[in-house]
Amino acid sequence: MKNRRSVLEILVTLPSALWLAIFFLVPTVVVMAIAFKPTNPYGGVGTGWTVATWLSLGNPSYPAILWRTLWLSLLTTAASIVFAVPVGYYLARIRKRWRQFLLLLIIVPFWTSFLIRIFAWKVLLHPDGFIKKGLVFLHLAGDGASLLYNPWAVLLVMIYSYVPFAVLPIYAAAERFDFQLIEAARDLGAKQWQSFLKVFLPGIRRGLLTAVLMVFIPALGSYLIPDLVGGPDSEMIGNKIAQRVFVDRNLPHASALSSLLTLAVLLPMTVVLFLPGRRGRPDLMAGEGK
Amino acid sequence: MANGEFLEFEDVSKYFGRIRAVDGVSLSVRKGEFFSLLGPSGCGKTTLLRILAGFERPDTGRVLLNGRDITALPPHERKVNTIFQSYALFPHLTVRENIAFGLRIEKRPKKEIAEEVERMLVLIQMEDQAEKYPDKISGGQKQRVAIARALIKKPQVLLLDEPLAALDLKLRQRMLMELDLIHDEVGITFLYVTHDQGEAMSLSDRIAVMNGGIIEQVGTPGEIYEAPRSSFVAAFIGDTNFFEGRVAEVVGGEYSRLVIDGFPEVLCFNDKHISVGNPVYLSIRPEKFHISREKPETGNRHNVVQARVEDVIYQGLMTRYWVRSGEYRISVARQHSRFLLDETPIRWDEDVWISWHADDGYMLERYSESDEKLVSLPPENIGEVNGEGNGAA
Amino acid sequence: MKRSRVPLVATVAMLVFFYLPIMVLVINSFNASRFGSTWEGWSLRWYLRLLHEREIWYALKNSLIIAFGASFVSVLIGTAAAFALHRYASRLQKTHYAMIFAPLVMPEILMGIGLLLFFVALGVNLGLFTIFLAHVTFCISYVAMVVLGRLQDFDFSIIEAAQDLGANWWTVTWRVLVPLLMPGIVAGGLLAFTLSIDDFVITFFVAGPGSTTLPIRIYSMIKHGSPPLINALSTILLVVTFTAVWFSQRLMEDAK
Repeated sequence: MKNRRSVLEILVTLPSALWLAIFFLVPTVVVMAIAFKPTNPYGGVGTGWTVATWLSLGNPSYPAILWRTLWLSLLTTAASIVFAVPVGYYLARIRKRWRQFLLLLIIVPFWTSFLIRIFAWKVLLHPDGFIKKGLVFLHLAGDGASLLYNPWAVLLVMIYSYVPFAVLPIYAAAERFDFQLIEAARDLGAKQWQSFLKVFLPGIRRGLLTAVLMVFIPALGSYLIPDLVGGPDSEMIGNKIAQRVFVDRNLPHASALSSLLTLAVLLPMTVVLFLPGRRGRPDLMAGEGK
Repeated sequence: MANGEFLEFEDVSKYFGRIRAVDGVSLSVRKGEFFSLLGPSGCGKTTLLRILAGFERPDTGRVLLNGRDITALPPHERKVNTIFQSYALFPHLTVRENIAFGLRIEKRPKKEIAEEVERMLVLIQMEDQAEKYPDKISGGQKQRVAIARALIKKPQVLLLDEPLAALDLKLRQRMLMELDLIHDEVGITFLYVTHDQGEAMSLSDRIAVMNGGIIEQVGTPGEIYEAPRSSFVAAFIGDTNFFEGRVAEVVGGEYSRLVIDGFPEVLCFNDKHISVGNPVYLSIRPEKFHISREKPETGNRHNVVQARVEDVIYQGLMTRYWVRSGEYRISVARQHSRFLLDETPIRWDEDVWISWHADDGYMLERYSESDEKLVSLPPENIGEVNGEGNGAA
Repeated sequence: MKRSRVPLVATVAMLVFFYLPIMVLVINSFNASRFGSTWEGWSLRWYLRLLHEREIWYALKNSLIIAFGASFVSVLIGTAAAFALHRYASRLQKTHYAMIFAPLVMPEILMGIGLLLFFVALGVNLGLFTIFLAHVTFCISYVAMVVLGRLQDFDFSIIEAAQDLGANWWTVTWRVLVPLLMPGIVAGGLLAFTLSIDDFVITFFVAGPGSTTLPIRIYSMIKHGSPPLINALSTILLVVTFTAVWFSQRLMEDAK
């Protein structure tokens, strides 16, 4: 029986493990390897090994881009959490039917095409769009000011895109939170805000941490958003990677940048993976969505 | 205020949608009293408690504590503290930090907090568990931490919401005694909510029995058991038999003769204002009956009825008989004071006599047929087990 | 006890934030004007125009082929993975879980460039097949997570009951397990399908000549093309995804 069981385990584990090993792990290693390869003149990879690519990352334009990537991601994360906490709280407190409906409303846009959602913002923020016109009418913006193609547009659309990644884990944690603890705190003399800070937030801290990482990690790798609504002063590391691949055809350079990003991502990701949640797994999948 | 009403509910009502959770309740509790709200789930007892704690605003009425109207005060401004059914210990804080929570919120000096917490830890005998987190201690210990956390605030009233419901039987009995000791020691008013009549009876100075949002009866445990005013109280507290009859004769004010279908005329103690011809309902508890094979020699205040045994259940401490007389199935409980194996036991299908003293039947002021479901009756057929007949055993 | 209004306000604000751009887009798709800035009355002209865009139809065909293929394969692999993760608590499964989980948070661009370099290194010609492989890779994780979610509230004593009644391993799988998990499997498949048909970043890296998918087509339209046409196309896609999500949620709910 014991033997039979482990055969079955291998049988159901193997397909996914093998597939992901070949098409996910190996490629990641390949990227790291190519970062140490020289370029060849035909836009391919040369022979031998070199650290020249890494040294060229010291080029002054890179630190600026890395720094921008970091602060845009951090701001996105902070704003998403601040926005998501009250929403998660609200969802956890309302009646079940109503909650399912709202949850669906929050998830649905994120099943729809990422491209289309960014495009929708492009239309909305367009110089001829009604937001711009409204701002000009209220004298809050000059006629020449552009709402698009700057880091703030990137930040706005990033928050828009990543906030659900914060809502879902926070809601999942809030739903498991025992709201009687808030009553207990009030009963022991805490005011509303005190019970929120001292009992609710610590009570959902795992969900908060997961939310931070679920927003921060993908935000670091943003590419499409700065590409479509950002300008030259809002490029992020993802854009540089794409440029090296599609414009300059400098694969080692793209690989070095990707390796850097991978390392930046790996660090927080290890934290999530080893953060014990229910059944020793991260608390992510409450909403079963993207 | 010394002996008077310390805590008062005045005509308090609370509606949830169309449901009247609490329906015009007026109640007063004395200082230092151990007072219980007893009733089945959904009777409104917890809502009443939450109104006092400040978690719910009543739709009508007022709550007075020590002469002061506290109806509109938020929970953190009331000098009452609650022990929650789930204990609601803060999982991210240690035992010590949990107990200190209330004082820290008050921003008391650190030294004072430390001393008070230490005192509480000694009271609940958990000095050596102080640094543990709630998920690392047992149910009984959680219970004690919850008590300490509330008592450290020196509340005027301590509210206990089914505090023993989550514990197993043995632990429950021990905590029952501990609660009693703590009440004696701290001397503050306890308002205790429970659905368990045993807990209420053994702890309380007085009990309010609640049903359907109203108070059926307030009294000492003895009054409630021996002199239930309504069929609900009679059936919910302990076990009983109901009989429906008519008054045939009022004997000198103290007693009445009743006609009950299928019975000879029955003599019954009477403390109510009734007159001949009135319909009455009678409640007789199973242990008040005597059961015997021979017709017993009895005094003139006794009633004797012939019956046939339908079921016998030996329960160690006592034996329970279900006997039929006329249309009634009557529950009879008999304590074993003698060595049982020496006598020939009464068996299934035997004809027997049951008798009771006139003072042991109690006439009810209010009767509702649905309360009969609270009384334990054996099923007539297999398959009925999950239906009625296993109410408040 | 009074409750704060902040959570309600935040939730309403979030919904407005989510739906405002989408609504504007949908309304604009019916605008007769060539430029979104002025309203020239209701019109279906952009929808009619779409019918004549052969490149869009061609891209749609590619997208559908890949989406069907990728969701079918990823459902098979992902369901098996979810079962393994749920049933066994071994060290192997811990690693397995990490492997399944990583693609969910890994920025798409990293997966894209990784697969590109991998295919280039192997000398594989980029095209529909490489896109298919890439899509299966990220869909497996999503399917596994959705099915795992269903398994969490699955009562495994049912399987023991079936075995007790004499069912063998094969019967248990096909007569008990699969039918009961069907809603989760279908929901996972739908998710995989929508993810595949929507994916741009990864596809962009591993696409080759002639393998334009719908999102790639839309991207180049955004970069160079006419906005009203994208509005109309987007609206159609929105309706399709909304229907799919609604349907899959119904499935999940009915099963509960």
